[in-house]
Amino acid sequence: MNETEEQNEGLVCAILAEQVAILRDRMDASEAFDLLWQTSALLSWLAGLLADISRESPQINPLQDRERSEAVTKITTIRQQLDHLAFFQAQRQDFARQIADCVIVALERMSSAQMPEGTRFASADLAALYVSEDQRRLHEDILLRLRVD
Amino acid sequence: MPTILVLDDSATMVMSLSHILKGAGYDVETGMNGREGITKLTDGVKPSVILTDLNMPELDGIGFIKEARKIASARYTPIIVLTTESGGRKRDEARAAGASGWLTKPAEPNQLLAVVKQLCPVK
Repeated sequence: MNETEEQNEGLVCAILAEQVAILRDRMDASEAFDLLWQTSALLSWLAGLLADISRESPQINPLQDRERSEAVTKITTIRQQLDHLAFFQAQRQDFARQIADCVIVALERMSSAQMPEGTRFASADLAALYVSEDQRRLHEDILLRLRVD
Repeated sequence: MPTILVLDDSATMVMSLSHILKGAGYDVETGMNGREGITKLTDGVKPSVILTDLNMPELDGIGFIKEARKIASARYTPIIVLTTESGGRKRDEARAAGASGWLTKPAEPNQLLAVVKQLCPVK
């Protein structure tokens, strides 16, 4: 590869690194999660309010009391499902963000600005950036598939 | 109310963990990396349990655990590592640094609370 080709490849890597960084930053869905948590907190408050109303209304009829009880059960179930969903999604998003970080660092190092003269970014350098066993397993599978030592 | 110190560089994860722990009756202090965690501890925060990620900027989880164990008030505080890393080597490294336990993401909210409640029951 001549000098111009190397410079061009480095430039492409630098541009790709910036683009992946933009994608990673867009992954931050804090507002959506905040809304989920607020909804969960509101449901929790509603369930408590229904219980208080029932306690302070001695004349409540059995049908209303049964409906109140059913509503509280449903609210509690939905709230738990929301909490579960939000926590799981948050962890998935965090994992995706970390993989994007890994790609960004690799591309930055492959760009001409980051690589010391005469050195190349190798697959072992990439492996050193991984943050999970899943990434390492995938790396090994690809090396096997491409029959690279 | 017992305090849990949560360290993670993901704002979403910090928010999620805080919500779940507060919902279970804990006070929550947070930091976005190990350095912020050390600052909290040296500023006088005395958590009953610390939950930390491993891969964080400034000071990573292993570095945080090592430094936290040098602070008298946090020498014996349970530190649970919550991370995407599931590898034995990292786990051994964290244990050698002074981690008390390990949870791999994605973890179930109930699984997380069970561990925290076992270490620090809410009265």
